[in-house]
Amino acid sequence: MTDGAAQEELAPPPAAVTRSAEGRSPGAADGGPILEVEGVVKRFGGILAVDAATFDVEERSVTALIGPNGAGKTTLFNVITGFYRADRGSIRFQGREIIRRPPHVVARLGMVRTFQITKALARMPVIDNMMLAAPEQPGEHLVNLVLRPGASLRREQEVRARAEELLEVFQLAGLRDEYAGVLSGGQRKLLEFARALMAEPKMLLLDEPMAGINPTLGARLLEHMQTLRSERGVTFLFVEHDMEVVMGHSDRVIVMAEGKVIASGPPEEVRRDRRVIDAYLGGGAVGEERSR
Amino acid sequence: MTLPLGVTFESFTDFGFWTSVGILAGTYTLFTLGLQLNVGFTGIVNFGQAGFMAIGAYTMGILVVKYDWSFWLALPAAVLVAIAFGLLIGLPSLRLRADYFAIATIAAAEIVRITAQNARELTGGNQGLFGFEGEWDNVSDSIESGLQSLGWSDPETLFPLFLVVWATALIATALLHFGTSSPWGRVLRAVREDEDAARALGKNTLVYKLQSLAISATLGALAGFFLALNLNYLNPEEFEPLFTFIGYAVLVLGGLANYWGVAFGAVIMWTILEGTRFVDLPISAEREAAVRFMIVGLVLILLMAFRPQGVFGKKEEMVLGD
Repeated sequence: MTDGAAQEELAPPPAAVTRSAEGRSPGAADGGPILEVEGVVKRFGGILAVDAATFDVEERSVTALIGPNGAGKTTLFNVITGFYRADRGSIRFQGREIIRRPPHVVARLGMVRTFQITKALARMPVIDNMMLAAPEQPGEHLVNLVLRPGASLRREQEVRARAEELLEVFQLAGLRDEYAGVLSGGQRKLLEFARALMAEPKMLLLDEPMAGINPTLGARLLEHMQTLRSERGVTFLFVEHDMEVVMGHSDRVIVMAEGKVIASGPPEEVRRDRRVIDAYLGGGAVGEERSR
Repeated sequence: MTLPLGVTFESFTDFGFWTSVGILAGTYTLFTLGLQLNVGFTGIVNFGQAGFMAIGAYTMGILVVKYDWSFWLALPAAVLVAIAFGLLIGLPSLRLRADYFAIATIAAAEIVRITAQNARELTGGNQGLFGFEGEWDNVSDSIESGLQSLGWSDPETLFPLFLVVWATALIATALLHFGTSSPWGRVLRAVREDEDAARALGKNTLVYKLQSLAISATLGALAGFFLALNLNYLNPEEFEPLFTFIGYAVLVLGGLANYWGVAFGAVIMWTILEGTRFVDLPISAEREAAVRFMIVGLVLILLMAFRPQGVFGKKEEMVLGD
């Protein structure tokens, strides 16, 4: 993944199709599965939070993970990203088994997550929040600070430039030196999203990215998602409760209920699935009769 | 009617007195710099700093006195032992929540102190450990003659120690400042703010917490050396948890997440603790000692009321208080 032209690629209105996306129809998933979840079980005492969940996420897709409260979506996120240890099952990311891997290893492999309740590093400036996330920083190791100060410094400059670009894109540049703690809830969501991008992910797992942000910001976030997918090949898996967002912006939908994956497929298909309607809404089609 | 209290001003202008206050302040600057790195920059609450100080001081003392090591070899060896001890405590307990970690460290420090009290063959127990400062005295003497050649006819005996303590403290302050303003320090601060966020961004947070603790242990050991050279003997009493809490008072006084505040806080603290000896109260010595700590308490209460971030701390980066 090259960073050079990333800024323009990320700019909100869909820019010209870049080399990496050539010959592929934007908006459609392609490639094989980037994430294969198989028979994953996570138990808390007597409660089966995730019950033999099995599904794939196609590379370069925008996949939504939905389900009623307590369905096990966030637990599943935590298991996939290594924050919880699964009791059973297999999770392959780009063909590699990651089920016993700690979170930082999973992140370094290119699977980066955000949190339902944003984790802005409050007593650190916005720019430091961003720069922290960049991978392969020699200056993060004490030995290099002494032995390779030049390399540390050079990388630091690159990282700073990249962070500033992204802040510009997300219209947070004016807040660059503010403590992240002073940001509004919506700005924190944007910061967390931008920060996750600093980590140069191949796949982003977003836990309720739209929750608590105003519709304008939300629309911008969705635009960024589509642009990143079509132009940089980033895969998205996101938990969302807003059915309009889910139905309008995802290629595939995975539905969980009571720890199980009960359905998956294109949005049109899923919304008419009997099991989904029963489990999720207790009648009516998804997104049509649900009053929020 | 006689005045209930009198102040003797002679010692207040006594250079020797200020030299010893300065040595104490310098020693506890080093000691507290470790706490600053842990608490102010990494968010790990280390209550066992007196234990690291004891490990450093006693390892050095035992190697020199009981095993005839050179003092200069014993110093790095003692630092390594302190680091190893820090890792030994940290590996199992840094995975715990912050408050449990604090309890684990205070317990570890007490184990060290009580062992020092009871392993009499090695440590001399409460009788103390003597006779490790010979090689330092040679250095001290040559610094003293250096000072004489600069035109100071009769330098204070402890003045060389004062110089070396503060040189060490300033170098440590500068190095820590450099370290925590680097990308390495950025990761530490991220761990302080939210460990899970740091992990989700690919940082191996346990390794950073261990490094922070190891550096703190090193600083504790250094403080232990200077304490030993200042006293010329070692006694378990000097490593009671009280001294860790004095370190915390220094930390709060100077301000969290600021290294220069540590030296400032240490000087103020030891001036209050030692300077109050001039005030002649018509009470027993033990009570006078208690009064000194009451004054410290009062100063801290006033500080919390009017400047909770400490003298040098930034309000936005207040680490304690939420």
